[in-house]
Amino acid sequence: MAKIDEQDILKRIQDPQSKRRAFEEIVNVYSRQLYWKIHYVVQNHDDTDDVLQNTFIKAWRGLDNFKGDSAIFTWLYRIAYNESITFLKQRKQMTSIDDEDFVEQANFVADEYFDGDNTQELLMQAVSTLPAKQKQVFCMKYFEDKKYEEISDLVGTSVGALKASYHIAVEKITNFIKSKE
Amino acid sequence: MIMSTKNNRILAPEGGRYPFKVSDEYFDSLTARIMEQIDSVEQEISEKNEEVPAQSTKLFDIHKNRRRNLWISTISIAASLVLIATVALKFIPMPSSTPVEQQKAETNVQYTPENYNEDLMNYTMVDNVDVYYYLSSEDFGE
Repeated sequence: MAKIDEQDILKRIQDPQSKRRAFEEIVNVYSRQLYWKIHYVVQNHDDTDDVLQNTFIKAWRGLDNFKGDSAIFTWLYRIAYNESITFLKQRKQMTSIDDEDFVEQANFVADEYFDGDNTQELLMQAVSTLPAKQKQVFCMKYFEDKKYEEISDLVGTSVGALKASYHIAVEKITNFIKSKE
Repeated sequence: MIMSTKNNRILAPEGGRYPFKVSDEYFDSLTARIMEQIDSVEQEISEKNEEVPAQSTKLFDIHKNRRRNLWISTISIAASLVLIATVALKFIPMPSSTPVEQQKAETNVQYTPENYNEDLMNYTMVDNVDVYYYLSSEDFGE
């Protein structure tokens, strides 16, 4: 990941002349990371793309209120997470079936962006049964091997709660996979 | 990534690879697309802002004038009433007492045994002759 000078970016954001250019740099540096964080929750490329664009539009609109109290990525991540949750709620309303039924029909092999075998598909199906926050915690820990402290800073949850959340997620996934074997 | 259930372990302890991929072209064009979106959103907002103030200023002025006129009318009426009341109190001679007070004064007559009997007789419509007749009747003597 390319690094940016946050103090410099913050200064340039305040100036209307350099605001757009500074934001473009933010998008350029963080969009890839943010894409995968959103994908962990919505698990579909097209939906992730929509949520990602909405995230940056929201960030742009709220840019004047961002005073650098948190890291830029943390701020963006929280917007993205909220947007993902909003999206999931809308999708649930549109399908008018409960989450469980929806998950049962998930077919990752048919997804052109899926790049795994049957066992990985089974794992992803298991992951898709988790609540959004558990999905995030599990994916960041399992696929990114992030430290709990890093995840804690990002999601704003205590390390203890994250450990418990991850433990529960692993248990659920294990039971799901065992039930399919 | 996923270990055999025979070993009672489903997930690999070292983690795994996230099984999705997206082409580099997607990410290469992503920033430009997002900035384009932001520009169009900004344009929409500025167009709306240009339209809205023209109307809203007009409406605001109308409402402002109406409200101001209403306030002026209310204050004028209140001031007039106060003025009329003040003049009336100063220049219109007030009666020493109202008819009701006079009536009260009349009813507050101090009764003596004489005027009490007179009033009583008037009220019962009897006169002295009736009283003498009654007192001298045989029935009364018995």
